[in-house]
Amino acid sequence: MNFANQVLQWFLDGSHWQGDGGIPHRTFEHLTMSGASVLVAALIALPIGIAIGHFGRGGILAINISNIGRAVPSFAVLVIAVELVGIGALPAFIALVALAIPPMVTNSYIGMREVDADVREAARGMGMRDRAVLWRVELPIALPLIMAGIRTSAVNVVATATLAALVAWGGLGRFIVDGFGLQDYPMMFAGAILVAILSLIVEFSLAGAQRLATPAGLRPSKPIQKEEPLGTARDTAMAAA
Amino acid sequence: MLATGVVGAVVDPWIRWSWVSGHVDVITAALVQHIELTLIAVVVGLLIAVPLGLVAWRSRVFRGPIFSLTGILYTIPSLALFSALVPLTGFTTLTAEIGLVSYTLLILIRNIVVGLNSVPDDVREAARGMGYRPFAELVRIDLPLAIPAIVGGMRIATVTTIGLVTITALIGKGGLGSLIYDGLLRDFKTPLVVGTVLSVALAFVADLGLAGTQRLITPWSRGRAAT
Amino acid sequence: MYLKRIFGLGASMVALALVTTSCGSSGGTASSASPKGTVTIASFNFSESIILAHIYGGALKNKGYTVVYRDKLGNREIVEPALENGQIDLYAGYAATDLTFVEKKQNVTLDAGTDAQANVQKLNTLLSSKGVKALDPSPAVDQNAFAVTKAEADANHLVKLSDVSSVASGWTLGGPPECPQRPFCQQGLQSTYGLHFKAFKALDAGGPLTYAAFKSGAINIGLVFSSDGAIAANNLVVLDDDKHLQQADNIVPLIRSAVANGEVTALLNSIDAKLNTPDLTALNKSADVDKLDPADLAATWLKSHGF
Repeated sequence: MNFANQVLQWFLDGSHWQGDGGIPHRTFEHLTMSGASVLVAALIALPIGIAIGHFGRGGILAINISNIGRAVPSFAVLVIAVELVGIGALPAFIALVALAIPPMVTNSYIGMREVDADVREAARGMGMRDRAVLWRVELPIALPLIMAGIRTSAVNVVATATLAALVAWGGLGRFIVDGFGLQDYPMMFAGAILVAILSLIVEFSLAGAQRLATPAGLRPSKPIQKEEPLGTARDTAMAAA
Repeated sequence: MLATGVVGAVVDPWIRWSWVSGHVDVITAALVQHIELTLIAVVVGLLIAVPLGLVAWRSRVFRGPIFSLTGILYTIPSLALFSALVPLTGFTTLTAEIGLVSYTLLILIRNIVVGLNSVPDDVREAARGMGYRPFAELVRIDLPLAIPAIVGGMRIATVTTIGLVTITALIGKGGLGSLIYDGLLRDFKTPLVVGTVLSVALAFVADLGLAGTQRLITPWSRGRAAT
Repeated sequence: MYLKRIFGLGASMVALALVTTSCGSSGGTASSASPKGTVTIASFNFSESIILAHIYGGALKNKGYTVVYRDKLGNREIVEPALENGQIDLYAGYAATDLTFVEKKQNVTLDAGTDAQANVQKLNTLLSSKGVKALDPSPAVDQNAFAVTKAEADANHLVKLSDVSSVASGWTLGGPPECPQRPFCQQGLQSTYGLHFKAFKALDAGGPLTYAAFKSGAINIGLVFSSDGAIAANNLVVLDDDKHLQQADNIVPLIRSAVANGEVTALLNSIDAKLNTPDLTALNKSADVDKLDPADLAATWLKSHGF
């Protein structure tokens, strides 16, 4: 039986769909952990990024926080979390929240700064107070980049959650870690495929949500335009939008 | 043991300096291995990404497949990719590098394409007007102007790679990741902290070094405000 | 002119890469002139294995061999095949468990017993065609053991494994990921003791994850190792193996025949003869509880035993 066939047989095996160790339960664990981490991270990161962007202070930190975040290996964060709180779901959650925060802070900051100064002035000239400018002008315009940040974080979290299986948590990473440990390569491949599929689903649904949330007047008319060079946090953020 | 403390165990501070001073050789070896693995990955990644990026830039037909393939590689969880390569290429540097290089490709190729796309049309027209043939134009005009984007991609790829190298500890490599892994296996905080701090420091040094290099090789951009 | 600058920088980057690479491997090149050759020694993911690997390796190095370590390579599912296909040359095995592993792999009846020598002989019969040899077993033993917290043992009056049958159906067993498939682990608990647990939690091989799981109550019973240094320190008690599920798991070097010349064989066998279980347990405690370095502990042991 060739390898592709073995992987297929693994998926077709009914016992792999049942119980705590089955595909549905592991997928559910993985999805809820990822969702919860991104949600909590967003509750922390978005207000910070938006506030910094709105008031225009502390920009250097906001821009660089995603670089700093990227520089910290997620494996290390996970093990440190375990040293702090023990094994299980909690350290995985803490590590994933920590991982998800930086891109969202940077992207929401940049999104807010990208709002054209003229538009802001026009709004103020129309008599809008600060809060109204924020909610009715800045946030809708910044939304694509904010959503891009959430998307980036979400996809990172789904991928990194696989590592949490190394510290006795569950999720789809279990198939990968146990598969490698047992040298059961069909199981491991199956796990990798499941995570990849989940990543893609998350990426596309959030991209769709982003498109829906973007006011019609701001949606790009052509999918690929003359883009600015990437290389700064700002450009990476915009390219992901 | 973990976090909650073991009755009768030696207190395990976050940094036991005696361990650090007694293990300078181990720490240095780990750091050197980490740098090696990263350098090879980014250099090889660049060698592969540049031709692929040029093809993707020029050819609408190939752009889609190139981005799709590198995108798919990027979505494969790193642990799975490294583990899956072991039966094929063993517990070797090659295994680690195949995985590490794969993860650099998407960001490098994307930045190369965007960088080349960003060369203003009038500049290219002027070049053609001056008689530059396509290859010369590419090498002397387009690529140099695309450097900020390319180096930007290299910075992201390098920092990401430095993080991913730690995971190769699970397939017998690891660089500074082997210190982190030791910390996990023995519930031992000091190597964990040392491995993490040095990893972050290395990422910063690499990022700043590349940013500085970019400034060196694009003298025409120094006049503008720093981005 | 501009291009020269780029090439210059590119060349220096490549040069930097080459220099760092050669710096890193200079240790190997310096002594590759050794006529006695290289021995690659692997260890499992726990301190005892790393200590043993460095004991073997340190002694070989003192005799002039070049030693390469592959520490924490993985579990037996990863390490034993690596030995068979020549990626590694040597690891410290455990007679009964390695025999059972190889028998399962070759689809032969499982018949590991309480006689270490007999186990080793059977191992050799099975492995000779793979170019692998098992040398002399040591009096030092480390076999699987199952522990519960002292509180649990007191509450349920648990002394031996058979006592667990009254509570097993509501309990969670903790162990390394391969435990459900190992005859001396969950499989054996089921077949020999009739214990069917409610759940299994994949942790590590008697390491920090297992101890943490005990602490947090995530597991009721877990796999530990009989020579583990941290059992008492973690308020655990080992349950007696009254039905003799575990067999003679004496330490035995598994080595590629090509590497096992007269000198190497004699050296490793004399090391094995001097290893004993109390020493091993003490070494494990030093590594896991006191956080001393496995390699240093090995060096100390070698010195005090005249290697």
